[in-house]
Amino acid sequence: MRPNDAPLHRVTGFLSSMKLTLVCLALLMILVIACTLLQVPLGTHLAVERTIRSFLVWWTPDWSPVQIPIFPGGGLVGGVLLLNLLFAQFLKLERSRRKAGLWLAHLGLALLFVGEFATALLQVESQMPVQVGQTRDYSEDTRLMELAVVDATDPAKDVVTTIPQSRLRPGAVIETPSLPFKIAVKRWYENADLGMRKPNDPASEANAGIGAGLSVREADIVTSDDAQNSAAALIEPVEGGQSLGAYWVSNALGAPQGFAREGRTWRLTLRPRRYYLPFSVTLKEFKHDIYPGTDIPKNFSSLVRLNDPAAGEDRDALIYMNHPLRYGGKTFYQASFGQNDQLSVFQVVRNPGWLIPYLSCIMVGLGLLLHFGVKLSSSLKRIS
Amino acid sequence: MKKALSKPPRWIYWAAFAAALLGAAWPLLAPAHKSAFPLAEVSRLPVLEGGRVKPLDSFARNALLVIRGTQSLPVEGKTMSATEWLLEAMFKPEAADTKKIFVIDDPDVLGLLGLQQNERRFAYWQLEPKRDEVGQQAQRAEKLEAARRSRFQSAVISLSRRLDLYEQIKNTIMVSGSDDPVSELAVFSTALPGALRAVHAPKTASTRDRAAMKALSELLERYRFLARAAAFRPLSPREGEPDDAWKSVGEAVLQPNGRPPHPGLEAYALMARDYRQSDAKAFSSAVNEYASWLDLERPGEARRARDEVLFNTAEPFVSGMALYVAALLAVFAWWATRRRDVAAAADGLFAGAVLVHTVGLVARIWLQGRPPVTNLYSSAVFVGWVAALLGLFAERIHRKGFAIAGGALLGFCTLLIAQHLSASGDTMEMMRAVLDSNFWLGTHVVTVTIGYGSTFLAGALGITWVLRRHLVAEPDPETTKALVSLAYGIVAFALLFSFIGTTLGGIWADQSWGRFWGWDPKENGALLIVLWNAFILHARFAGYARERGVMLMTVVGNIVTSLSWFGVNMLGIGLHSYGFMDKAFHWLLAFGVSQLFLVWLGFLPPRFWAAEAD
Repeated sequence: MRPNDAPLHRVTGFLSSMKLTLVCLALLMILVIACTLLQVPLGTHLAVERTIRSFLVWWTPDWSPVQIPIFPGGGLVGGVLLLNLLFAQFLKLERSRRKAGLWLAHLGLALLFVGEFATALLQVESQMPVQVGQTRDYSEDTRLMELAVVDATDPAKDVVTTIPQSRLRPGAVIETPSLPFKIAVKRWYENADLGMRKPNDPASEANAGIGAGLSVREADIVTSDDAQNSAAALIEPVEGGQSLGAYWVSNALGAPQGFAREGRTWRLTLRPRRYYLPFSVTLKEFKHDIYPGTDIPKNFSSLVRLNDPAAGEDRDALIYMNHPLRYGGKTFYQASFGQNDQLSVFQVVRNPGWLIPYLSCIMVGLGLLLHFGVKLSSSLKRIS
Repeated sequence: MKKALSKPPRWIYWAAFAAALLGAAWPLLAPAHKSAFPLAEVSRLPVLEGGRVKPLDSFARNALLVIRGTQSLPVEGKTMSATEWLLEAMFKPEAADTKKIFVIDDPDVLGLLGLQQNERRFAYWQLEPKRDEVGQQAQRAEKLEAARRSRFQSAVISLSRRLDLYEQIKNTIMVSGSDDPVSELAVFSTALPGALRAVHAPKTASTRDRAAMKALSELLERYRFLARAAAFRPLSPREGEPDDAWKSVGEAVLQPNGRPPHPGLEAYALMARDYRQSDAKAFSSAVNEYASWLDLERPGEARRARDEVLFNTAEPFVSGMALYVAALLAVFAWWATRRRDVAAAADGLFAGAVLVHTVGLVARIWLQGRPPVTNLYSSAVFVGWVAALLGLFAERIHRKGFAIAGGALLGFCTLLIAQHLSASGDTMEMMRAVLDSNFWLGTHVVTVTIGYGSTFLAGALGITWVLRRHLVAEPDPETTKALVSLAYGIVAFALLFSFIGTTLGGIWADQSWGRFWGWDPKENGALLIVLWNAFILHARFAGYARERGVMLMTVVGNIVTSLSWFGVNMLGIGLHSYGFMDKAFHWLLAFGVSQLFLVWLGFLPPRFWAAEAD
């Protein structure tokens, strides 16, 4: 038995083989094509989640009750490609000056992969809509909901308890130390049609709050980039086995609902998940310029006041296209606008790994330049 | 023999090069088309339209291109220039209404209009009776998303928009059909102050002021209409006004702001009257007087407008196209005859074509004050330029004509594509807010487009390899080797640029949207080019692909690149969908099929048809 046939060698041989590289590149191309085409029916977010940001691509045929894995996902292919790259690099590629460019390019590429994994795991995206004159100290994730139970007894200060969407499963009974009652979750619809109850509609399942007069039906989940789901939950605060009323809560309902109990006032709302900031942002001015005689936008810009008492910062900042505000580990981008230019929407991104792509880009670029430059000059020498 | 081969006659090269340049400069040297009116001077007047200041000539050409699909108009065996047509439409609409300028190809739209299908170009008077019907049908169709409209609906929208544009043009300087704009303007300007007093303080107004108001009410309505309907803004800002405060005739008349009337108001009114009365001399002096006022008041814009007219007249991309064809034919002649003097001529013609292409590109950069690629049109111009320039240099390595042939073919095809893309209007349109960054347009967009151009050049060499395999009876191995190594080098070049370009795009996205990579369709398209070029290089390195494998994969690279360039725009989604287009789908499909056919040909044994014939 030759040493090369040892199981370990076979594994490393496989992991460092060029065949694996080519297979992975081909699979990656197919995934990228699939991801692009699936964006038409699914919207960008879901298409990326299903194909690229997963280890396996699942498919549920009409006749089958279970999901079937049909293709390796981006996480798997990317991971294998990264391993393959590192193994091939360290086991096979000669360490010589002639190959220095390839080394630099491939290590830069590995860094890019690591950065993309880091982004997938660590990046948090949220939105911050602010009206002119308004001050905000939180941003929202419009894809995820949370149930906010607010103790509004003290008019000067609300005491908020939030329950994330993941816990709002039908049948769950939620207990937290900060609430004197439990909350029973009766129903959870990720998307629902809400309307005023008509005379012929069945009786509402809610018996308190605005929901008693509503008809709530489950609806298909929308995933396209510009649509938003109207989530709805039927919840029932319970104390000592006694119901305090069943409420429909939804992000589509504007009016506050709640009840009073033992001298305390409680409000219930289902709202987009909030990320509170240790500082606040006030929108002073929003500008939306167009080219004269057209409706082509020329510039969007928001003048904001940044106030961070803890850090002693209180200053103006201008956020405009291609010029975000980076502060406190978060980046604020001019994303959208509305309400007759009275509302500005910022995209708020927290991504600790944002510098990695910059670095790897430079490495790969220089590496390729070096490698192909050396090859070109040697082949030119051969010809002449 | 060998010595003669290595030393091509230089004078032939230079003669071909000079002939190419002379041919390209011909439109500028040719005697101007005769007319009693000073067309050249009028065409250089700057106006503001689509957010930018441009000469009347550019507006006229683009408007005629949108309406009729051409930049000039044949009338009774002669050619009517775009500016001539514009003057007639603005000042003598009753004559312009009889010119057959509206192209209608859709049989259902013709049916709606009650017109027979034996013609495809119609005059405004023929469409006028059904104008309202067309407008209503278009309004109904506009409610649907572009992708869901039927052929009829798209066609009726297009017709309605073109009719709108034409009607706006007729009502830009004077209300269509008004007889004496000069005296109208004079009456209005004298009576306006009194009338305004009567409008603002009706109770205390004198009887005279009230009479003035009454007399003006009809004219007032007319000028309000002009302010709304104008197709462009002809009146430049005056001293003390911001640079973008260009005004339409109606706006300038209605808001004198206590200043004497704008000199352009009178000039345009005089031009209108003199044109109607066929008084070329008076027309000339009105134009010249206004032009010299503009030279003093807005020297920068006046000069730029003159230069743009020069660029429009030269049409460097049209002559570039012709020169590429000439160079390509010369290469074929060279391959057929194997004569070095023909080779030198091909070389010279190609160098001339690239130079003309370069001059056009640089002129656009200068006129627009932007990096070369700002929209789909300019990306086509640039892709061809990159491929041709790369071909010019690659030819220096192996003098076999392949690089010239590939570069010339791509130069011609991309300029042809650009020509078709330009039919939708101004190709120097303003940049939307998010794209308004010369730094990123100059780095990311340019490098990515260089990646497109070089991948296409590699693909063109792949096609040459396939054709050569079947057409050349006894290919010599040395030439084949040269071809393959050339293609390999260009794939490497393409990988370098498409990778750098793609990641620079990621960095731009990180700056403007807050994520490095968002799997947007256009980003994915660019990534596919990178992956495919990397695939080719790795497959060759590992020895899985040799000569045939590499060459056929470069042909597949053509499909990948065309999908990334145009295909993703057709999905109509994503942040990059500003370049949306639907008509080109069939062309893209045909291109893809043709490339697959070539790949299939490449798999067949060499000269299979000759073998069968034996």
